[in-house]
Amino acid sequence: MKSPVEEKMLVTFWGTRGSISTPGRTTEKYGGNTPCVTIENQGTRIILDAGTGIRNLGIELVREAEAGKQPLKVHLFLSHTHWDHIQGLPFFQPAYLKDTKVTIYGSPKKERFLASVLKRQMDYEYFPVSMSALTADIRIQEMSEENLHLGPLRIEWEEQGFHPGGSVRYRFSAHGKEVVYATDVELDLIFGGDHRTEEKEAAARDYLRFVQGADLLIADGMFSEEEYPARVGWGHASIPAVIEAAAKAEVKQLAVFHHDPQHSDKYLDDLWVKYRSRYLAGPQKMDLFWAREGLTLAV
Amino acid sequence: MSEKNDVLKDRNSFDTTEEIPRGKFADIMPLSQRVYLEITGSEEKDGIFELGEKAVVVGRSTECDIQLGVQNVSRKHARILFQNEEYLIEDLESTNGVLVNGIKVVRCVLRNNDQIEIGGVKLVFNEEKRLHKK
Repeated sequence: MKSPVEEKMLVTFWGTRGSISTPGRTTEKYGGNTPCVTIENQGTRIILDAGTGIRNLGIELVREAEAGKQPLKVHLFLSHTHWDHIQGLPFFQPAYLKDTKVTIYGSPKKERFLASVLKRQMDYEYFPVSMSALTADIRIQEMSEENLHLGPLRIEWEEQGFHPGGSVRYRFSAHGKEVVYATDVELDLIFGGDHRTEEKEAAARDYLRFVQGADLLIADGMFSEEEYPARVGWGHASIPAVIEAAAKAEVKQLAVFHHDPQHSDKYLDDLWVKYRSRYLAGPQKMDLFWAREGLTLAV
Repeated sequence: MSEKNDVLKDRNSFDTTEEIPRGKFADIMPLSQRVYLEITGSEEKDGIFELGEKAVVVGRSTECDIQLGVQNVSRKHARILFQNEEYLIEDLESTNGVLVNGIKVVRCVLRNNDQIEIGGVKLVFNEEKRLHKK
C-alpha cells in the first residue's frame, strides 16, 4: 500500500523572479533566478518554464543521473516564450546528455512555431552553441485540444490573454489534488476597471473556472497596488488582484510568483506580513506565501 | 602640549603619503562562517546549537543530535544538512510537519533569520560571518 507521502505532488521552486534575473544580497531569500518550477509525482517529472532557474535544476538532475539512476526523462511545459521563461534552456545541462529525453510543450497559437522560436534563441549571434548541437533527444510538441496524461498526472491547459503575445496556464491533477500554474496574465484588467466588456467577463469566468478549488495556485503577482497604476498593460497582475481572484475561486494555497526585479527580500517580507494574516484568519482560510527559490512543498 | 597634539604634529610633518606595496592588498584575512540554530520555543530546552557540515537530526528521540522533548515533535522529525555550500532542512515524514516562516515544507534552503517550527518548537536559523584573526 502506498503511503500518502508517495502520492503527493512535490512542487519545487527553482526560479521565482520575473523579467530578468536579479542576483545579489537583497534577493537571496526569495531568489534572483527567473521562472522555473518542478512537479514530481511517482517518477514523473514536470518542469514549468525554462527561466534561469532551470540551470540549477539541470545540475541537480545530472547529479542524480551520475548517481546511477535511470536516464533522465523530463517534460518541460512553457507558459510562453518571453526571455525570462526560456533563457535558461541553453544552460540546462541534461540537454547535453545523449541519454536524456526532453519533451517541450507549448502553445500552438504562436505565429511562429515553438521549435523555431527556441531554435532562434540559440542562433550564433546570441549563443555559441546551436540547438542542433544539443545531444539529448529533444522533442518539441505544441499542445493539442486533447488533455495529456503523463504517469499519474493529468494535464489540462488553456490559452491566456491579457499578456503581450499571450501565455498558457496549466492544471496538474493527481490523486485528487490539483496544482495550477497561471503566470504572466494581467488579472487587474480581467477583473477590475469600470469598463467591463464581454471579453473581460468571459476571461474572468474562464480564469475562475480553471483555478477553482486548486490545492495550490502558482500565480503572477508582480506589482504592489501602489506600483500597478504606472504599469497598466504590461501583462502582469498586482498582488491584491491575484489574491482576490484566488480567494474568490476558493484556492486553498496561493504562491505569489514572478516577483518584480525591484522587489527586495525586505519589501516582499513586508508585503507578506500585510496580506497573509488578513487571508489566513479571514473567512476564505486561504494560505498565502511568496514563492522562494529552494522551497519544496507537498500537495 | 597634550599627547594627541604631538601625534597630529608628527602627522603634519609627513612630506608625502607613503605608497602601500600592491602585494599587501592580496593579504586578505580568511572569512569564516558560523551557523547556529537558536531554540526558542521549547519549555525544556532553550539554547543555541552550532551547525557544522555534518547533517543533524532533530526530534524527540534520544538518538537525535538536537533532542526536543515535546510531545508534538516526532521521534525523528527533521534533518538539517549542508549541501552545495548551503543549509537545507528536510521533513522526515513527521506527523506535524516542518514549517519555515509559517509555510509547511518538505525541504527548504535556509536563509539567515528563517524561523522554523517543529512540533510547536520555534527555532531560528542564524548565519554569522567573521574574519579570522591571525
